[in-house]
Amino acid sequence: MSLESPESSEERFAHKVEFELNGSPERHCVPTSATVLDLLRNSCGKQGVRASCERSVCGACTVLVDDLPVAACSTFAFDVDGTRVETVEGLAAQDGTLSAQQQAFRECGGFQCGFCTSGMLMLTTALLRQNPQPERDQIREWISSNTCRCTGYEMILESVERAAELASAKQQDQVSE
Amino acid sequence: MTGFVNPCAPEDAPIVGRNSPRLDSTVKVTGRAVYTVDIEKPGMLHAKVLRSPHAHARILSIDAAAARSLPGVTAVVTREEITGLNSYGTYVKDQPVVATESVRYVGDVVAAVAAVDERTAFAALDLISVQYEQLPAVFDVRAAMEPSAPAIFPDQPFAAYPEYGDGASGAAHTAHNVSYEFRYETGEESVWADCDYIFEDTFTFSRMNHMHLEPFATVAEATANEIEVWTSTQSPFPMRKELARVFGLPENDVRVNVPLLGGGFGAKNGPKTEAIAIRLSQLSAGRPVRYCMSTEEVFLTLSQHDAILTVKSGLKADGEFMARQSRVLLNGGAYADASPLVAEKAGYRMPGAYRWKRIDSVCQAVITNSVPAGAYRGFGATQATWASERQVDLIAERLGFDPLELRLKNAKELGEEFVPGESPIDSDLKHGLNLVADAIGYRDRTRSSNRGMGVAIGIKDGGGVNKPAQARVKVTTNGDVFLNCALVEMGQGGHSALCQIVAETLACDPKRVKYAAIDTDNTPFDQGTNASSGIAVMGHAVLQAAERVKCSVLDTAAEHLMLDRQSIRLDNWHIVDAEGTTYELPPLIMDRFGGTGFEFTADGYYKVRNSSSAPLEAPCIFWEIGWAAAEVEVDPETGRVELLQLVVSGDAGKVVNKLGCRGQDEGAAVFGLAQALFEELRYEDGELLNGEALLYRVPLAEDIPRLFSSITQEQGHGAGPFGTKGMGEGGMLPIAPAIAQAIADATGAQLTSLPMTPERVYNGIRAARLRQGGADGNA
Ligand code: FES
Ligand code: FES
Repeated sequence: MSLESPESSEERFAHKVEFELNGSPERHCVPTSATVLDLLRNSCGKQGVRASCERSVCGACTVLVDDLPVAACSTFAFDVDGTRVETVEGLAAQDGTLSAQQQAFRECGGFQCGFCTSGMLMLTTALLRQNPQPERDQIREWISSNTCRCTGYEMILESVERAAELASAKQQDQVSE
Repeated sequence: MTGFVNPCAPEDAPIVGRNSPRLDSTVKVTGRAVYTVDIEKPGMLHAKVLRSPHAHARILSIDAAAARSLPGVTAVVTREEITGLNSYGTYVKDQPVVATESVRYVGDVVAAVAAVDERTAFAALDLISVQYEQLPAVFDVRAAMEPSAPAIFPDQPFAAYPEYGDGASGAAHTAHNVSYEFRYETGEESVWADCDYIFEDTFTFSRMNHMHLEPFATVAEATANEIEVWTSTQSPFPMRKELARVFGLPENDVRVNVPLLGGGFGAKNGPKTEAIAIRLSQLSAGRPVRYCMSTEEVFLTLSQHDAILTVKSGLKADGEFMARQSRVLLNGGAYADASPLVAEKAGYRMPGAYRWKRIDSVCQAVITNSVPAGAYRGFGATQATWASERQVDLIAERLGFDPLELRLKNAKELGEEFVPGESPIDSDLKHGLNLVADAIGYRDRTRSSNRGMGVAIGIKDGGGVNKPAQARVKVTTNGDVFLNCALVEMGQGGHSALCQIVAETLACDPKRVKYAAIDTDNTPFDQGTNASSGIAVMGHAVLQAAERVKCSVLDTAAEHLMLDRQSIRLDNWHIVDAEGTTYELPPLIMDRFGGTGFEFTADGYYKVRNSSSAPLEAPCIFWEIGWAAAEVEVDPETGRVELLQLVVSGDAGKVVNKLGCRGQDEGAAVFGLAQALFEELRYEDGELLNGEALLYRVPLAEDIPRLFSSITQEQGHGAGPFGTKGMGEGGMLPIAPAIAQAIADATGAQLTSLPMTPERVYNGIRAARLRQGGADGNA
C-alpha cells in the first residue's frame, strides 16, 4: 500500500474520482499512482477490503466494480471514476441483517482466519448475480481465482452453494409477499 | 472461594458439541474484524527495510547519511543504532535486530527506515549505500557440515536449552554449522541382531512458505524506557519476554497487544517485525511506527525446514517391526529461530505410530545461507512422518505385504505408551486406519491400470512441552461474561471454542461470553498459541476459571436466599432451586453488594506435572493423530497425478465445535496435498526462484479433488476438558505419504522426494520399469 501522507510533498493529488460506493456517492482527489485499495482503505475507511499479495494473485482485496470482481490492489483509483463500487461493508442490510452470502459463510464455516473472507464474499456476490443457481464446477472455477490458506476450500464451496439456496429462498419470499 | 473441575461433559451438553456458527463469524463476514494491519495511530510513521543482496558477506561499511537527511525520514537503524541490544532466537540467541558484522542470507535485514509514508521510506532505502566483501556461501546441509565449509557463525552465539528426561539429550553447536542436535534412544542395541531384515532408505523433504494471508505486521510505540506493540504474533507472552530481553527492559515495561491474526501456521512465533518497529519508534521520539511486510518480504523471513532423512529399520520375517534408527538433517537456514524445537520434535517423532524394541534417533539442525526456517504446521512431524511412513511402504513392497496390513500389524494399541515414560496413546490407531481405508474403498477396489490407493497415519505429541496456561472469567451483575486469556485467534476457532466451554459451565448463551482483547498487562499468562494446545491445555484453565466463578455465584446466592447450596443450580443467570423455582440474579446481587453491583471473578490454571522419566520434560497431554487415504490416477506418459479421492480424519476426542474441527482437518490436509504434489520454495544455487505471490503456487479450489472429505472422530479418550484433544496439525501429516503410496500402487514408482512433480513421477515410473525388467531378467 503506498500510503500517502500530507507531510510528503512528492506527488500531486491530480485526479478527481467520483463514484458510487455501496450506494452512496463518493468524491476524492487521488494521486495517479493510487490504487483502488488505497482509495477504499485509506480515503473511504473501508477496512473490510483486505490487502495481502498486492500483486493481483490472492484476491483478498476483491471488490465489485460495476458488478464485476476486481483486484483492488492492482486497479488504479482513477479507473473507478463514474463506476459503481461495492465492498463487503455494503452486503448487510442497513439494520445489520446479513445477506444470503454472509449468512451462508457463517452457517457453513466458510472462513477461519477471515482474511480471505471479504474477497470470497464479493466473488460469490458477483457469481450469483451472473448465475443465481451455479453448479459445483462453476463455483469451483470462480473460487479458484482467490486464495484461502486456511479452510481447504470445501467449506467455502459449500458456503457458496448454500448462499445460492438462501438467496433464491429470499427471492421467493419477496415474490410471495 | 472453592472450586472443582468436573472432567466430564454434562449429560446432555447443550453447547459443547453443537454445530453452531463460530462466535467470530459476524465480524468476519461483515469485514469488521480488526487485524494488526488495520491498526492506525495518530502520527503513525511507516517502516521499510534494506535487505542483503548477498547470501554471505562481511559488511565493510554502511553510509546512511543521505537517507537520514531526506525530508520525511525520522529514523534510520543500522548496526550502529543497535549497540547494546541483545539478539533473539528460541534456544539459540543468534539473530540480531539488524545485521552487524555480516549478512548470512539473501534477504537478511541490513538497515531500516521510518518515514512519514511508505513512499518516502522506500526512497530513503535507495540512499543507503552498503559496502560488502563477499564470503563463500553454503546452501546444502551436508556441504555445510563439511569442515571446509565457511563458518556461518565464527563465534558461537549464546544458547540455553532444557534438561531432557530418560533417553533424550540435546545440545547446541555439536558440529560444524550445526545450531542444535537432539538425540533419543531407548531399548537395547542388540535388538538389531534379532532382525531378519534390515533396510536403510533416504528421503528428502521439501520446504514451503507459510503464506498466511496477513503478512507480518507490527505497530510500535516506544521510548527508551517503555514499549507498547500491537502485533501479529501467536505468542504474546514469549514475545514480551523476548522483547524485554532484546531491549534490556523489565517485562512490565513491555506491553504486547494482539488483535486477530490473518493466519499463522507457526510462522508468527518469535520477533519478526517487532524489534525493528520498536527501535525505529524509539529513535523517532516515540512516534508510533508501523512495519508491515510485503508478501515478498514474508518469503525472505521464514520458511519450513527442508530435510534429508535416513531411516534404517529392522524387522522379523513375519513383518514385526523391531528396531529403527534415524539420522535427520534439517535445513535451519541462516538463523536458529525455532530450529532447536523442530529438531527435538522431528527426532522424537521418528518412531511414528508403531511399536519398536529399539529406537535410536539423531536430528541435527544445520545452519546454511538461506532463509531461516522455523515453526511450521506439523512441526518436525511432517518431516518425520514422510520418511517413516514412506519407508513402511517401501518395506511392504520388498517383503510382499499389503501396506495397510503391515501398518495394522505394527501400530500401537490404545493405551500403550509411545516410548517409556511418555503418555499412552489415546486413540485407537487401527480403528482410524480402517475407517479411512474403508471410506475410499481400499479393500474392495478392483485393480485398474494407472489407478492406485494408499493409506497413511501421522502422529505427534500434542499440547506443547512443559506448558502452563492461565485464564480468568468475570461475570457482571447482569450476567455478561468476559473470558480473559491469551489464546490467540488465528483462524483455528479457539476463541469461539473456549467461549463455548465457559457458556457450557455457566449454563448461558455463548453469545453472552466476550473474549477480551489480549494485552499482556492485563491478560493472564500463557506460553503461546501453538502445538494444538488451545483446547487441551488452555481449555482446562478456562474450565477451571468458569467452574470457580460458578461456585462463587452459587455460594453467594445460597447464602443470600438461605437455600441449600447443593440443591441449587445456575441457568441463564437465574438460580434454580430443587423445586424448580427460579430467582433472578441481578436484583439479588444488587441487594447483596449495593452500588453498581459486583463482578464475580475467578482464575484457572493448568499444567501437566513434569517427570524426569518423560523424555521431553513432561509427558505429552494428548496425541494428535492424522489418518488419510488417497486414490490417484497417473498418466504414465507425462507423470501427471490426478487425485481422485482424498479422505482425512482426526480424533477430536470430543467435539466442541463441529465446523471448527472439520475446518482444521481439511485445512491441514490441503497443506499436505500441496506439499505432496506441487507447492515448494525453489532454489538454484541458494537463490530463491519463486519468492513472490505470482510465482509461488499455493493450492486453489481447483486443486481439491472432487471427492474430498474429512471424518471427525470422537473416540472420547482425550485428556482435555470433556474428553477433548487438540486439532489443527494432525491432518497435514499423513497426506503426502498416502498420496505417494497411491502413486506407487498405480505405477510402481516409489518416490522418496517431495513434491511429487510430474517429472519425478515420470522418472519414478521409468526406474520402476527398469527394476521390473531387471527382476524379470534375473528370474
Ligand atoms: S491483495 Fe489484491 S490480489 Fe492479493
Ligand atoms: S480463512 Fe484464512 S485465508 Fe481464508
